[in-house]
Amino acid sequence: MKLDKKELVLLYTNLVRARKGDETVVKGIQEGKVVSFYHSGQGSEAVGVGVCTFLKPDDYLYPHHRGHGLAYVLSKGASLKAFLAEHYGRATGMAGGVAGFHGVDTEHGIFGGGGTIGSQFPVSVGWALAAKKNGRGQVAVCCFGDGSSNRGTMHEAMNMAAVWKLPIVWVCENNLYAQFMPIKDAYPREDIADIAAGYNMPGVVVDGQDVIAVHEAVQAAVERARRGEGPSLIECKTYRYRMHSEGAPDIAHFEPRPQAEIEAWKKRDPIKLFQKKLLDEGILSPADIEQIDRQVQAEVEEAEKFALESPRPDPAILPKLLYAD
Amino acid sequence: MRQLPFVLAINEALREEMQRDDKVFIIGEDVQAGTFRATTGLVQMFGPDRVMDTPLSETAVAGAAIGAAMAGWRPVADFMFADFMWCCADEVFLKAAKWHFIHGGKVNLPVVLFANIGGGARVGPEHSQCPESIVMHTPGLKLVIPSTPYDAKGLMKTAIRDNNPVVYFYHKRLLGLVGDVPEEEYTIPFGVADIKKPGKDVTVVATSYMVQHALKVANELEGKVSIEVVDPRTLEPLDIDTIVASVKKTGRVVLVDEDTKRCSVTAEIGMQIMEKAFDSLDAPIQRVGAANMPIAGGYMEQYVLPQPKDIVTAIETVTGKKLT
Repeated sequence: MKLDKKELVLLYTNLVRARKGDETVVKGIQEGKVVSFYHSGQGSEAVGVGVCTFLKPDDYLYPHHRGHGLAYVLSKGASLKAFLAEHYGRATGMAGGVAGFHGVDTEHGIFGGGGTIGSQFPVSVGWALAAKKNGRGQVAVCCFGDGSSNRGTMHEAMNMAAVWKLPIVWVCENNLYAQFMPIKDAYPREDIADIAAGYNMPGVVVDGQDVIAVHEAVQAAVERARRGEGPSLIECKTYRYRMHSEGAPDIAHFEPRPQAEIEAWKKRDPIKLFQKKLLDEGILSPADIEQIDRQVQAEVEEAEKFALESPRPDPAILPKLLYAD
Repeated sequence: MRQLPFVLAINEALREEMQRDDKVFIIGEDVQAGTFRATTGLVQMFGPDRVMDTPLSETAVAGAAIGAAMAGWRPVADFMFADFMWCCADEVFLKAAKWHFIHGGKVNLPVVLFANIGGGARVGPEHSQCPESIVMHTPGLKLVIPSTPYDAKGLMKTAIRDNNPVVYFYHKRLLGLVGDVPEEEYTIPFGVADIKKPGKDVTVVATSYMVQHALKVANELEGKVSIEVVDPRTLEPLDIDTIVASVKKTGRVVLVDEDTKRCSVTAEIGMQIMEKAFDSLDAPIQRVGAANMPIAGGYMEQYVLPQPKDIVTAIETVTGKKLT
């Protein structure tokens, strides 16, 4: 499906929202406003935006944890206000301020997140199973990183989903590092997508800096899943600009990540690449770009104001949260 | 009243709840055949989409059940042996237990985590554990641990209807125990202990198969000492009030559980009795449990697991009388 102008502008706007939102949290942690930690997603926004912008509201999503899912959940329809409020520990946050960094938005198929890398695979099988049982053509999208692919949970989940032809799309955000561990020292092949062959499903490698390439690959996999033809794996080659988490050393094993590598990836910035494409094709003018920038800046400032003005959660709610009625 | 074996009482509860609610389904390894016969015959009634045989993948089974529960279904995940739940510890202890709470109450996890516990089959440390202490220790998990066919059925029905993750442990030595199970519909609320035998001299709080050991001892000692056997039936929530009321009556307590004695549920219950009924105690609390070592297999098992004679010794200690 070829995207029309409105859809292209939506993709671009979501990229800018993800970047500016991420910059806000990084600044917030430096200023002591963020209550827990932050794993910036700057540099890899095209993955989350390309994967999620055109999913349906009732499709299920396990976002990648980088940026605590910002590029994913914003594009899926979640509120930037609630996202920031959670990171600022406020009662209006996505998890009521109880999680500190996990996002929940059940209206948009987002049931939260865990702390253990690789635990996204098994629960996503459950969402895909529910999608199949519901019979409404929903899909589940499970996003993970190169590090997660080292977990045994991936095998159990991909195997079960493939055997049962569940409507699920596995999206790997391969940014080359699992904290300090380079993927080349943790996985014996070049492409994680090769794993798909073992589960009898398509495995595709795409340029994770190209939001259109990500979108097209995911849409094809989503349509396949909706048709009942089972899971697919899409590997998006991407990068993170910043250290693993704010305040952590920016290293590979125990030495600094190569500066040349960082610079080379920054030349392929997903927002600049897409901006150039839209300008070259006459979809957007420089004035349009500025306008989107201003509009997103205003949205981010309003969201941050909302978060900072929101109250902290009442500790009296904690015992009541232990069990559902 | 109608008599049913323990395992068929569970089977009947599953069948009735699956008939009552289309959202209930069973998922696990070989549940269509039913390794312990708890799920046997259900696939013929409800079909393979509701009695789902899975690949040998405990982690994916747990994830599938927990994920489906979040999305509005009511799965019963069968792990065969409770020991096998350690393969999916993340899903049980980090996901099922915590995700309602940590996500601000915005997601529910109505899932039953169903597993066989206990020794007696002499099959060694990875098929015989009673890991109730670790479950009871974990906030967010309810824990059901029945000792009779009647309780097994009524508590399973309640577990399936609960909107929270419920760990349901059933003991392999109880599978064939026959007892009263009415044909009429009933459920048993969580957090209500049952006095299995009234008495006045010593309170014996016991769980699961140990209730049967305790009743055997109580009957053998009848005439020498009057023993009240209290079965909490659920450890979370725990009906400490019924236990304390019994202690206030008898003044002497023996706590019996098959889990490893160190940090066991009896340590917790004992401390709660100390906090709530210290002045009523006429003797220090005695605990009976498995020795602090892995459960040995073969003929060595009996030297690790608690035996009826250990309960007798404990009763002799709290009463200060030689009873045998």
